[in-house]
Amino acid sequence: MMMKEWLSKIGNKGKDPDKDKQAPASQDTTCPFTDNLHFNLECLKQEIGHNWDVHFREFNLGRTGIRSVIIFVDGLSDKDLIDKHIMPSLMVDFSAEYKQNLPYLKGSISKEFIKNEVLSISEIEAVRSIKELASKVLTGSTALLIDGSLDALLLGTAKHKTRAIEEPVSEALVRGPRVGFTESLSDNTSFLRCSGEIENLSLVKFQVGKRSKKDLVVAYIKDIVDPELVQEVENRIKKIDIDSVPESGYVEQLIEDNYLSPFPQVQNTERPDRVVAALMEGRVAILLDGTPFVLIVPVTLSMMLQSPEDYYERWIPGTFIRMLRYLAAILALFTPSLYIAFISFHSGLIPTKLAISIIGTRSGVPFPALIEALFMEIAIEILREAGLRLPKPIGPAMGIVGGLIIGEAAVQAGIVSPVLVIVVALTAISSFSIPHYSIGITLRMLRFPAMICAATFGLYGVILFFLLMTSHLVKLKSFGVPYLSPAVPYRLSEWKDLMVRMPLMMMKRRPKMLHTKNPIRKG
Amino acid sequence: MILSPKDKITTPQAAVIVINFILGTGLLTLPRSSTEKVQTPDAWISVILGGVITITAGLIMVKLSQQFSEKTFYQYINDIVGKWVGGLLSLVVICYFLTTSSFQIRAMAEVIRYLLLEGTPTWAIIMIFMWVGLYLIIGGINPIARLFEIILPLTVILFLVVTFMSFKIFEIDNLRPVLGEGIVPVLKGVKTTALAFSGPEIMLLLIPFMNSPKKAGKALLVGVSIPLIFYVITVVMVIGALSIDGVVLRTWPTLDLIRSFEVAGLIFERFESLLLVVWIMQIFATFTITYFAAALGLAQLSKKSIHPFMFGLLPVLYIIAMVPKNMNDLFKVGDFVGNVAMFLFGLLPLLLLIISRIKGGKKHETIT
Repeated sequence: MMMKEWLSKIGNKGKDPDKDKQAPASQDTTCPFTDNLHFNLECLKQEIGHNWDVHFREFNLGRTGIRSVIIFVDGLSDKDLIDKHIMPSLMVDFSAEYKQNLPYLKGSISKEFIKNEVLSISEIEAVRSIKELASKVLTGSTALLIDGSLDALLLGTAKHKTRAIEEPVSEALVRGPRVGFTESLSDNTSFLRCSGEIENLSLVKFQVGKRSKKDLVVAYIKDIVDPELVQEVENRIKKIDIDSVPESGYVEQLIEDNYLSPFPQVQNTERPDRVVAALMEGRVAILLDGTPFVLIVPVTLSMMLQSPEDYYERWIPGTFIRMLRYLAAILALFTPSLYIAFISFHSGLIPTKLAISIIGTRSGVPFPALIEALFMEIAIEILREAGLRLPKPIGPAMGIVGGLIIGEAAVQAGIVSPVLVIVVALTAISSFSIPHYSIGITLRMLRFPAMICAATFGLYGVILFFLLMTSHLVKLKSFGVPYLSPAVPYRLSEWKDLMVRMPLMMMKRRPKMLHTKNPIRKG
Repeated sequence: MILSPKDKITTPQAAVIVINFILGTGLLTLPRSSTEKVQTPDAWISVILGGVITITAGLIMVKLSQQFSEKTFYQYINDIVGKWVGGLLSLVVICYFLTTSSFQIRAMAEVIRYLLLEGTPTWAIIMIFMWVGLYLIIGGINPIARLFEIILPLTVILFLVVTFMSFKIFEIDNLRPVLGEGIVPVLKGVKTTALAFSGPEIMLLLIPFMNSPKKAGKALLVGVSIPLIFYVITVVMVIGALSIDGVVLRTWPTLDLIRSFEVAGLIFERFESLLLVVWIMQIFATFTITYFAAALGLAQLSKKSIHPFMFGLLPVLYIIAMVPKNMNDLFKVGDFVGNVAMFLFGLLPLLLLIISRIKGGKKHETIT
């Protein structure tokens, strides 16, 4: 640092005073350029030259004999653009023209001339400090340093690495748009812009992460959303104080209301149509650079059990499927615990014939119902997890191992009863039919405490578990909105979109719980 | 204190709280207790009369509380009868809520032991129940109201399904003759049935929590009418199926009614498990709201935070619940609590209303 300052002092010696005034006030801290290319290069090489991917390419500018250099990062900058547009236009012979151009500097070349006459690319910016230049180069810009010039030019050559737009993997639909968000923030915001709401869609940018700064965009529709909600979301985002945010899951966990709750209080989705629908209802979306998962707040439990398809299909099948899903959620949560409760405590309460046949099949099983059920439930969870992590070609093998060995063989070996296999399969299938991964996993997890309650207190334990869980749910809020609304407090007008999905003709208003500025959805 | 401006409940929520408070042990015992007193099949008329009386008493309480719509009973009673008498009365009311609360959990534990968990010790059944209740009431009145709103539809649906299943063994002759022995036996049962409706007293505390205290009367009316319908259906179905002689002999006649028939071809042949689910939830509701009322009372008397009282009352409730030695003792406690309630919430509010009107009139004069 000392060295650099000293160098720059020497470099500044004997220059005319006007040029000195042009330099920024915070000279010392930002290391300005000198008019000596060699010094500048030395400084820059100290700053970033030790990185193997930073390239320095020296050449003579436009056959004028003036040395200059471009600096870029391999892989981040668009080499095609540099090779085909920047280098050729800089190296073509313009020695005659530049002498006619004013102001003419002997031994150097004005940046205005380069900007206006030579370089044919859209983004050009002049910088004066080495630090700033270094950080810009490291994010993909190309720097052009010219001997005798006091500032460097930054050329916008950053190449965004994106993948093609694909159908979202985690949320499959039969009917609906086939696009999913990608890892690029600008792509993702452009999806929202494409929704047609142009004037009122606000996209406010924040930066999160203290070390690795990432862009985060809060999206909402200005004339619908409750300003207090936006304020709350922004406050919570500003409070995020962490060194890096690799995925929106970090943001989710840092802004949620209750981190002790098993229930997700922020919805994540890969589907632009889902986000647009939420925005239109008066919710807020949070997009983070580098992940296709966009967050939606506030959410309710009923939202987690809905799929966009409910609205794309006609209302009668939509309602049917939605009710089926509620049933699946209840089954996923309570089937194994009810099995345990009825088998080990209240076999008198199930029909006699059924009781006899169940007990008959269980006669060879050496374990109590809880151990038996736990064994199978854990096995199926492991199978599910393994299926998820396995490389795709091995997948079918998993199915054979899981289906045959765990199911068939366990029954034949007399470790579990066939009825339990049915129960476990029913539970698993029900939990997979829940459209939202994070709530599905919550329900799957909660069935274990439910089973333990059932094993200790039978049906009474299951009821108490239900009461405990409901007590938790009624206390839970997501950004000020009760988690169980609109079911409770009673709001009959909004039950049209809760268990059933009434015809769109009848859903004229936005959800009241969001306190929207413009409550009318449909005339 | 838990009374923060945001912690308000809506009018339907107030009604739901009253409904869930009233429905409780009564669902299972009312057919027996009323028939014992009436001795004719007209018990259901007593139930209706009891309901009407409760509504009247409830409206008096609402009128009283509406004069001080910013304060709970514990706070405004001092304004009416002075600090000492007021404090004493508040304590009595708190004790009443505590005893009701304990009575509910003990009755629940007895039924559970009788029907579901024969070998499980009472303390285990009671303790786990109390912990869940505590977890709920720590959140304040709003979560309580919301939970009740979830419980209520479940109750209505399951209850109606189960009761109408018992149409199979319903005999209209068991309900005849109507008023065969005149109105006198019916009146004998009114006291018992009115007690089964204990619950409107929560309005004494709820009004300051309400969004619009002016609608409290409406909430009370709905809050008592729905349990009234439930009770009439229960009594009619139970007497119709088991006849009065059969009802008097049984401790939990409603449960026996459900156990006495089977419907083949459905998943369950017997439906008492469904009724028990409903009933445990209703007991949970009554337990939590009375527990909350008692803790709120202590907090407001001592002008301290409510949470330490919630935790502190837990062992107290447990001890009171374990005092009765057997079912007979328990029902005696129930009767005693009922008699106290009759005085506390039947006569006292009327007296207080008259006193406050006289005092209030004076104040009004001095101001103008």
